[in-house]
Amino acid sequence: MVITGRTTSVKLISVGWAKNGFPSLRSSRFHVSCAAKPETVQKVCEIVRKQLALPPESELTPESKFSALGADSLDTVEIVMGLEEEFDISVEEENSQNITTVQEAADLIENLIQKKGEA
Amino acid sequence: MKLTGLQKQVLGLYRGFLRAARTKGSEERKKIESIVSSEFRRHAKSIERKNFIYIEYLLRRGTKQLEQLKNPDTLSLSTVPVRHHPS
Repeated sequence: MVITGRTTSVKLISVGWAKNGFPSLRSSRFHVSCAAKPETVQKVCEIVRKQLALPPESELTPESKFSALGADSLDTVEIVMGLEEEFDISVEEENSQNITTVQEAADLIENLIQKKGEA
Repeated sequence: MKLTGLQKQVLGLYRGFLRAARTKGSEERKKIESIVSSEFRRHAKSIERKNFIYIEYLLRRGTKQLEQLKNPDTLSLSTVPVRHHPS
């Protein structure tokens, strides 16, 4: 299995603060964007491979598009369902339709796991 | 990939079926998943993309079947082979 790509653990966190009690929409939002952990990316790769029955020698990078790997929209639904079970999360319908690459899936998963931890 | 409303509905139904399958026994689950997957794929291939009336009909039918499958008393799902359509 070849896994290449982003392995940095750089986290970008932007927080909007309310200034002097002035009501601000931004203050109520906590925006976090970060590169997913390599383990997550690897796990996602495994699931995608299994779901699409990709031969082990085929190359799969976090940027690979599912559609380029031969997945149709039904396969994509199956991939997302597989990820839900593996990571014990629940992906909302609108979000699931925005996932087109391994990286996008991994980022979303980490986001959801983090939210679950906060709840 | 931009999806139309109808495509989203179909994918939503597919998700619903896979979710319902999770609630059944593991043997049955596999069977349900395989039937559902092949049914959706068969229709995706055989139906003309613009045949909205028929697609909407299948959506309604599928939604009803899903309701039945969701019932905890429903343990399994089976198909009856039908004679092949004249090609």
